[in-house]
Amino acid sequence: MASKIPPLLEPYLALPPEASLILLTNVLGASTNWLVLRFLHSTLATSSNSLEVHPEDETKVVFVSFLRDFAFWKDNARRLGLDLEKHAAKKSFAFVDGLSGLFLPKQQRPAVGPGETVLSSPSLTNVSEAILKAIQDVRGSSGAKGNVLLVVDQLDLLLAVAGNQVGAVNLEEMLAGLREEVHSAIITVSADHPLVSALQTPLETNHASFLVNIAHQADFIMGLRLLDSGTATDVSGVVRVTIGDQVAEDDDFRRKIDERELLYFVAGDGGVRVFERGQ
Amino acid sequence: MSFRKRGVVVPQSGSTNSSSPPPGSANKPTQTQAPPGTRPSPLDGRLTTSTGTRSLDSLLAGHSGLALGNSLLIEESGTTDFGGTLLKYYVAEGVVQKHVVHVLGVPEGWGRELPGLGLDDDDGRRKKKAADEDKMKIAWRYERLGEFGAGVGGARDRNVPQVTSATTSAPVFCHDFDLSKRLILPSPSNMHFVTLSVQPNLSFKDPDTSVSPFTKFIQHLAAQLSNTPPTTIHRVAIPSLLSPALYPSYASNPSHILQFLHGLRALLRKYPTQLTTLITIPLSLHPRTTGLTRWIELLSDGVLELAPFPASAVVIKPSGAATEHEEPPQGMLKIHRLPIFHEKGGGGGENSGSGDDMAFNLSRRKGMVIKPYSLPPVEADGEAQQGGLEGDDGKKATKVDLEF
Repeated sequence: MASKIPPLLEPYLALPPEASLILLTNVLGASTNWLVLRFLHSTLATSSNSLEVHPEDETKVVFVSFLRDFAFWKDNARRLGLDLEKHAAKKSFAFVDGLSGLFLPKQQRPAVGPGETVLSSPSLTNVSEAILKAIQDVRGSSGAKGNVLLVVDQLDLLLAVAGNQVGAVNLEEMLAGLREEVHSAIITVSADHPLVSALQTPLETNHASFLVNIAHQADFIMGLRLLDSGTATDVSGVVRVTIGDQVAEDDDFRRKIDERELLYFVAGDGGVRVFERGQ
Repeated sequence: MSFRKRGVVVPQSGSTNSSSPPPGSANKPTQTQAPPGTRPSPLDGRLTTSTGTRSLDSLLAGHSGLALGNSLLIEESGTTDFGGTLLKYYVAEGVVQKHVVHVLGVPEGWGRELPGLGLDDDDGRRKKKAADEDKMKIAWRYERLGEFGAGVGGARDRNVPQVTSATTSAPVFCHDFDLSKRLILPSPSNMHFVTLSVQPNLSFKDPDTSVSPFTKFIQHLAAQLSNTPPTTIHRVAIPSLLSPALYPSYASNPSHILQFLHGLRALLRKYPTQLTTLITIPLSLHPRTTGLTRWIELLSDGVLELAPFPASAVVIKPSGAATEHEEPPQGMLKIHRLPIFHEKGGGGGENSGSGDDMAFNLSRRKGMVIKPYSLPPVEADGEAQQGGLEGDDGKKATKVDLEF
């Protein structure tokens, strides 16, 4: 099981401390999907495997995806040996689908399985209500204070598609509200050059301000980008880990992780190798 | 007696020599299962369909076709319309394969300019085509044998069906089109043209910019997809997205265009075995440095950029030489993202093909040919280079010499 997680990334993929925020950034061609899957795997698989953990203490995951459907995540998680449907049935995992129903006519809404919610409106109140409900669902009625990890894939989509109705501040407020309800949160956001440096249109300024704000709040950032020197056959991209301002030097958490830059390679079968430069 | 003997011998030789009937019959169920114009990907078995351009099919991260449920965005800078030609091949392939084709945003006249099927009149061409198909077929059979016949068939057995298959009419995955011909559309046509929700109004009123001009597209596609049986393959072609000649200016409002593309992506994922999309977008009007274009790219599964050379830079060779040489490239093709491959993590990898600089060339008969870019040999000092050239393709070098 442990081999599924690249050893060099293990300290980062472990369950983050309470109230922390982890930001994963991607660019076109260097997606964070494999990293998100590793986070899911390390959270769900380890908590269900270790026997000492009290069932009420096990970590649960609420996963919101705005660009990809459940089938994609299920399929690729299965390659890692992680059965998301089984976890959904056990109520330790809930999926909020921000793709299938957001902008389609009503009759096109798909049937939902257990632990699955389909967002039907891009309004922030609707989105945040749906996510809160999913959080409550996995937490259960017993009120057990299990750790809930919130993973949001491409939250910036809401900003892009909403036009002028949603600003960066509104989205940050929504995220802050959600973070109050969960143990910690992992967010993926696009950090392509045109989205953060052009600053010409409202789309670009909103995106940049949202990204910078989240980056400053984050405990650590894992930024994925393509290799600067062009494409190589055995390197997919670079992952840069930056530690946020808020993590104090003497913190327990700070001692476990450090800032570094690693190369990664995603093989055709979905396996990932992470290594240092020159290795 | 002789009749009987032959009757005994023939089936035996048929089974030992060629062994073509068993694989043929074994193939049939899978072939009838797969809708026309699709075949399983050699990588993971998911169904793929042809873009109508063979070299583009082979570029798509080893899937040898556009995997169903995925979209492709072709960006093009400048005033040329290579992307539009690719799109016409894609639509023409769909028409020939009897797929349901939806062309969005343009009037019906666009569909009358599709390239017609190329005729294989000259022998050399036919041979070449047959050889191409054989090559492909070997690969496919090889794949299938590898799956469930590995123990039975040796290498010799695998070679045999190829001989017979040259004469049998196996379904063609990608047709050859001739740009100088026009495709005769079947009637009733399996093409649907959907124009924008908002037509240019003649009453001098400002159009309501808060209503998305794309709503009709999504409604049409959603209705069509839900009303057809699950074996029908649909193709969606969107020429020159956001071009001001076709779209009102407020269509470029992120909330309109991105919501539409997000909805389209949802449909692609909802019908992962029925739908593919090809979109072209003019880059000069929507440069890649803008956030909007980047979001359009992020919402597409595959992103290719065509960068045609300026007209003056294309070397026009004398007519005698042009037939013997490969035609000069007309532009570069950049791969920014490939379906499935980059969704998993992407990067370099031997399947991405992005390690090489790719160039494209459009000719009347061969259609769009995409191949790794290589500088042509300098003709002035051909003699001096001959020794070096002979190493990899000496034939060509000598031909150059004969010409002079």
